Amino acid sequence: MNMDPTSTSFPAPHGAAAAAAAPGHAAHGDPSAHAPQPSGWPLLLAFGIGLFATSFFLLASGYHVMPLFYLSALICVLIPALGWATTIARERHHQDPVYTYKILRRGFFYFLLSEGAIFGSFFAHNIYLRYAHAKTWPPVGAPYLNPHLAAIGTLLLVFSSFTYHWCHQAFLKGKKALAKNWLLATIGLGIIFLGIQGYDWGTLKAFDKFTYQHGAFGSEFYWMTGFHGLHVCVGLLFLSLVYYRMETNQIDQTYNFSLTAAEYYWHFVDIVWVFLFFVIYLL
Amino acid sequence: MSTAEAAVAPAPAPQAYSGLMDWLTTTDHKKIGLLYLMFAFVNAWAGGLFAGVVRLRLWSPNSSFISPHLYNEMLTMHATVMIFMVIMPAFVGLGNYFVPIMIGARDMAFPKLNAFGFWMMIPPALMMYASFFTVHGSARGGWWSYPPLSGPQFSPGAGESLWCLAIILMGIASIMGAVNFLVTIADMRAPGMGWMDLPLFVWSNIITAWLLLLAVPVLSGVLVMLLSDRMFGTGFFQPGLGGDPLLYQHLFWFFGHPEVYIMILPAFGIMSHVVPAFSRKRLFGYKGMVLALASIGVLGFMVWAHHMFTSGISPQAQIFFSTTSLLIGVPTGVKVYSWLASAWGGTIDFTPAMKFAFGFIALFVIGGLSGVMLAVVPFDIAVHDSYFVVAHLHFVLFGGSVMGLMAGIYYWFPKMTGRLLSEKLANWHFWLFFIGFIWVFMPMHWLGFEGMPRRVAFYRPQFEPLNRFISAGFLLLLAGGIIFTYNVVHSLRKGERTSDPDPWGVNDVQQSLEWTTATPPKPWNFDEEPEFVPAHD
Repeated sequence: MNMDPTSTSFPAPHGAAAAAAAPGHAAHGDPSAHAPQPSGWPLLLAFGIGLFATSFFLLASGYHVMPLFYLSALICVLIPALGWATTIARERHHQDPVYTYKILRRGFFYFLLSEGAIFGSFFAHNIYLRYAHAKTWPPVGAPYLNPHLAAIGTLLLVFSSFTYHWCHQAFLKGKKALAKNWLLATIGLGIIFLGIQGYDWGTLKAFDKFTYQHGAFGSEFYWMTGFHGLHVCVGLLFLSLVYYRMETNQIDQTYNFSLTAAEYYWHFVDIVWVFLFFVIYLL
Repeated sequence: MSTAEAAVAPAPAPQAYSGLMDWLTTTDHKKIGLLYLMFAFVNAWAGGLFAGVVRLRLWSPNSSFISPHLYNEMLTMHATVMIFMVIMPAFVGLGNYFVPIMIGARDMAFPKLNAFGFWMMIPPALMMYASFFTVHGSARGGWWSYPPLSGPQFSPGAGESLWCLAIILMGIASIMGAVNFLVTIADMRAPGMGWMDLPLFVWSNIITAWLLLLAVPVLSGVLVMLLSDRMFGTGFFQPGLGGDPLLYQHLFWFFGHPEVYIMILPAFGIMSHVVPAFSRKRLFGYKGMVLALASIGVLGFMVWAHHMFTSGISPQAQIFFSTTSLLIGVPTGVKVYSWLASAWGGTIDFTPAMKFAFGFIALFVIGGLSGVMLAVVPFDIAVHDSYFVVAHLHFVLFGGSVMGLMAGIYYWFPKMTGRLLSEKLANWHFWLFFIGFIWVFMPMHWLGFEGMPRRVAFYRPQFEPLNRFISAGFLLLLAGGIIFTYNVVHSLRKGERTSDPDPWGVNDVQQSLEWTTATPPKPWNFDEEPEFVPAHD
C-alpha cells in the first residue's frame, strides 16, 4: 500500500456511457428508471407473520380465542405472499433473465446454507447427548426404532431426487410432457415418504406409547423427523407450484428459476434426510 | 445472453408515493437503511432507560426502588434491546445505506426482501415490549436465557416464551438480510471493481453477513428447542427428562460468540474509513485488514466455550478454547495497529467523527485487553460472573460498537441527509459519552476484583460507594444521549444544508464511491453507471 500522503489522488470513477453495462442494469437514458419499485407487500407480509406467530403463541398457551382470529392471521400471511409472488412474476419481464437467475440462485443457495445450520443445531444436540452426556444410548426405556421401514423411505426419497433431476433435464431439452411425468413421479415419491414417516410415528405412538414428551430422546426424534417432514411438505408445495407453472406455461427455457429453486430445495431435503436416517435410525 | 437481452422490456418509471406511504412501501435501500437507524434510535432510548432503572436500584445495597423481580426483567431487557434491537439494526442500517453505493450498485439485489427484513423487526419488537404486560412480566433469564432458569419450572408465564419467539422472528430478518448483502456484493459490483478493491466497510459487512448466515440459524434452532421445552413439555434441556442444560450453553454460545463479532466488525469497517479520511492519508495495510477480518470471522466460530470455563467443561476443552481466544488478539491487534499507522504522521482533523474514532481505539483496546485476560482460564475462573466481565463487555460493546457507530453516524450524516450536524453539540456529546463511559465502566473492573457478582439485585454494603459513583456517572451518558438526540432532530429540520458530494473532502485519500454521487444520493444512486478504476500501488 502506498503510504505517501502526497501521492496522486485516486482516479475518480467516471460514467461509463460507452462501457458495457453492469450486470443487471440495462443502459437506459433516464436514470430515474433505475429507482426500485415501491411495494407494500413486504410490510403486510411481515405483519401477517407477526400476527400468525402471535396466534400460534396464544393457541399453544391455551388461550381461547375465536377461530376466526386464526383464520384471519393465516389470510394475512397468504394474501401478501401471493401478492408478492405475482409482483415478481410481472416484474421479471423488465429484468435481464440471465442476471436475475444468477442472483436468485446464489441467494437461494445461501438461504439453504442457513437452513442447514438450523438442522445442524439439532444434529449437534443429538451427537452431544449421545456421546458426551448419556451413559447409554438410546436411553433405557426408549423403544426400538425400526430402521427397515425408514430405509425404504430413504431409498424412495433418494430416488425422488433423481426423478426430479430427470424432470429438470427433460424440461430444459423441451420435452415438457416427459418433464411433467417425472415431476408427478417425484411428488408421488415424496407423498409415499411422508406416508411411511406418518405410519412410523403412528405405530410408535400407538404401540410403544412413545411421544415427544418421552424425554430428550423422544423430543429429538419427533422434532428432527417432524421438522424434516415439514420441509418435505414445503418441498411438495414447491413442486406442485412448479407443476402448475409448467401446466400454465409460466415457465419456459428462459424463465425457469422456480424449477432450479425447487431442485435445490428438494436435494437439500433429501441430503438432510440421509444424515437424519443415519444418525437417528442407524447410529 | 444476446437473445435474452432483446426480450427485456424497459422498466416502467417507478410508482411514486409521498409522505408516510412512501416510507411504508419503500424498497429503496437508502430509505430502508434510515428506517433501521430510526428503529435503533428509538430502541436505544428504551434500552438506555432500562439501564438507568438498573443503576437506580443499585444505588443502595438493598434498595426498595424496584423489586428484584423487576430488576431481573430490566437487566434482561436492557441487554436484549441493546443487542438485537439497537446495535445490530443500527449497523445493518448503515450497511444497507452504504454497501450498495460503495460497490456502485443501484440497490440491493433483492429490494423487496430488504424491506421485508426491516418490517420483520417490528412485530418481534412489539412482542418484546408487550411481554412486560403479561401476568408474570417479561423475560428475566438474561439475554443468554440459560435453562433451567429459563425453563418452565423457574420462569413460568408468557414473558420468556414471547422472548424466544421474538428472537426467532428477528433471526428470520437477520438471515434474509445476510443473504441479500452477500448476493449484492458478489454479483452487483461496478464494472472493474474486484474483491480486493472493495472498501473495508463492505468487507466488514461481508464477514458479518457470513457470521449472521451461519450463526443466527443455530440460535433459532436452540430457541425452538427451548420454546418447545417451555410450551410442549419436551426435554431438550430438562435434566429430569434426559436433556442437558450445559448443551444449551454450548449451542447458545456457538451463536453468541460470532454474535459479538457481528456487533463489532461493522464498527471496524467504519474505523477503516474514518481514521484515514481525517488523517488525510491512505489506509495502511489494506490486505492485512481484509485478512484480519476474515480470520476473526473464522476464529470467531472456534472460541465459544470461553464463556463456559466455569460451567464444567473438560481441561482439554479449556486449553483449546483459551488458545483460540488468545489467537483472536492477533488479527485484532493487526487492525488496531493499522488504524494507528493510518493516522501516524497524518494531518489529523479532529472532527466529531474522528474524536469518536479515537475514543473507539482507546476504549476498545482496554476492552480487548481485558478480553485477553479473560481468555486465560485461571483468571477467568477468578473473576467469572463478576463486575469485571460487565466492565469488559461494555468496553467492547459500548466503547467499541457504539463509539464506532457514532463515528459512522457523524461521518455519514451529511451524506445521508444533506444537512450538517452542529459540531459544537457533537463535541459535547463526545466528551459526555467518553468521560461518562470511563466514569461508569472503569470502576466496574475494581468492583469485579473485589468480588461483586454481576446480575444480582443485592450486593454487600462495602460496594456501596463505588456503586453510587457509577450510578451518578449514568447522568453523563444520559446528558450525552439527550444532546445527540437534540442535535439529530434539530439538524434534520434546521441544520445547515450541503449538496457537496464530498463534504469532508476525503475522496482524494479514500477510494469510496459514496463521495462521488449526489448528496443526498438520488433514489437511483448514480446518474451514470460508475466504472471503477482501481488505484494501483
